[in-house]
Amino acid sequence: MIEHSAATPALLDMDPMWLSALLFSLAYIMIVSERLNRAIISMLAAAGMIVSGVLTQQQAVQGVDFNTIGLLTGMMIIVAIARDSGVFQYLAIAAVKRVRAQPWGILVMLMLVTAFLSALLDNVTTVLLIAPITILITDTLKIPAYPFLFAEIFASNIGGTATLIGDPPNIMIGSATNLTYNDFLFNLAPIALLILALTLIPFYLMWGRHMKADPALIEKVMKYRELDAIKDWHLLKQSMAVLALVMLGFMFAHDYGIQPATTAMLGAGVLLMLRCLPHDQQKQTELVTRSMAEVEWITIFFFIGLFIVVYGVETTGLLELLAHQVLEFTEGDKAATAMTIMFVSAIASALVDNIPFVATMIPMIQNMAPAFGGQQELIPIWWSLSLGSCLGGNGSLVGASANLIVAGFAERSKQPISFLKFMLLAFPLMLLSVMISAVYVYLRYF
Amino acid sequence: MKAAEVMSTEPDVLRPNDTLEYAAETIMRSRYRSMPVVDEDGCYMGMFDVNCLLKHVIPKAVFMPQGLRNVSFIHESFEDLFERYSQVKDEPVTICLSHEVHPLNPDTPLTETLLQLYHTHLSIPVVAEGSCKLLGMISYFDVGRKILAVGHLNDD
Repeated sequence: MIEHSAATPALLDMDPMWLSALLFSLAYIMIVSERLNRAIISMLAAAGMIVSGVLTQQQAVQGVDFNTIGLLTGMMIIVAIARDSGVFQYLAIAAVKRVRAQPWGILVMLMLVTAFLSALLDNVTTVLLIAPITILITDTLKIPAYPFLFAEIFASNIGGTATLIGDPPNIMIGSATNLTYNDFLFNLAPIALLILALTLIPFYLMWGRHMKADPALIEKVMKYRELDAIKDWHLLKQSMAVLALVMLGFMFAHDYGIQPATTAMLGAGVLLMLRCLPHDQQKQTELVTRSMAEVEWITIFFFIGLFIVVYGVETTGLLELLAHQVLEFTEGDKAATAMTIMFVSAIASALVDNIPFVATMIPMIQNMAPAFGGQQELIPIWWSLSLGSCLGGNGSLVGASANLIVAGFAERSKQPISFLKFMLLAFPLMLLSVMISAVYVYLRYF
Repeated sequence: MKAAEVMSTEPDVLRPNDTLEYAAETIMRSRYRSMPVVDEDGCYMGMFDVNCLLKHVIPKAVFMPQGLRNVSFIHESFEDLFERYSQVKDEPVTICLSHEVHPLNPDTPLTETLLQLYHTHLSIPVVAEGSCKLLGMISYFDVGRKILAVGHLNDD
């Protein structure tokens, strides 16, 4: 526990532990209620931690995980530039044409593309790229978009589970622990692939076997020229080369003490440089401004505030107390603790934003290290947290930001995905995927 | 000089129950970019804009918020566009009602009127102050004709 050395006296002589718990709970309730933008809530709560004397400003800055912030920002810049080349649309259309635009084949291919891209990019970016193409294709084929959009929600959350950079919970876990990109890839990608494949079974039984489209309409989709989606070949080559190097950096740079944030920021810097070099000063400013504007600053500021709030709670010892409570509940059994964390994370992530949940769970789990014999012993628990929180996002429409983005597209295409209808199907499927994960974690690590 | 002095009175208008097909034929025949929609009492309801027709003939995945940014891979024929148009042609023009153009009141000074034209790129309705009655429309042509007329007068 970090010694409490606030410069400002704690508000109204309240115990800092309860004061931080109060601020944390208020912030959490406000985030769940969605009355105010989450970035504003986390900034206000972070400022509250300092003003009330729970943290000094210096401590607050220490609490911000700049590895997570740098990784998110760097990847957002790279993706924003790469997206302009049209490569992601090319990939989606080529995949659809590969299966001769047959509806079930399209569903499978769009799921695979979504999962693949979600493993490499953030889920929101992925669905922003894939959902409009899905609407275009289903409109052309005159078939309902719902099964496709539903499948893409699942694919984005499952794909995001597979890598360190796929989903914000994994970025936070990777940053807080010594787990590398390869650790995530070797431990989580196999189970993510298995779940993705198994998910296709209920989708086929429910929708796939009934899917049909008029051959004349299929011919229209086959007329899409995927190569025409590439708008800038030069940019395509540059961005793919940088993206490949960044992926290699994630895999191998850790051995040289280079963190993922450095790799991502270096990649973003190199790509910006390549993009700007041929242009004059004014055009360079314009290009950099455009790329920077694509960064989701709301998410970045949400993270910054959240890290400070959670650090405030952590410094007062509240999370250590909660960790002991969990250990008492599981009687100190590592497997029981891992399973409890996995299922609680899954259910919580289905109902509330998984980012603040995971941000809170990380220091709590770190506090369990002495009980289990050191940090190394926590590894299966980290995988449980990752699987629970990432897959849990599939449990409801509010489980992940990407779900809401897809629901927005469905609404705009006049085929709304209702909260209840989605949850009735998605929640049991999500629980099934978490059960499969639980079996995997138990068999592999215990 | 004020807006009332440059506007065209008794402009062509659409009624709320007019269909998109009627509106499309009218604006194509008269080469308008937009037309005001008024109810039976002459009350201004909003503008019908040709962009709305474009929106309905292009795949909806393109124009929806956060839709496709890049459509260069889609190659369609006039038949494809007409098919989409056919699906909406019997809808009332009110599905296309736009409120982006703010009506001017008849006393708006000429310079401000020109600035509004510059920003909206469309003809602007003039509505009586304190009521919704459409008094006229101001287009580039109305203003341009009056400016050029000064030159012709000077030449004479």
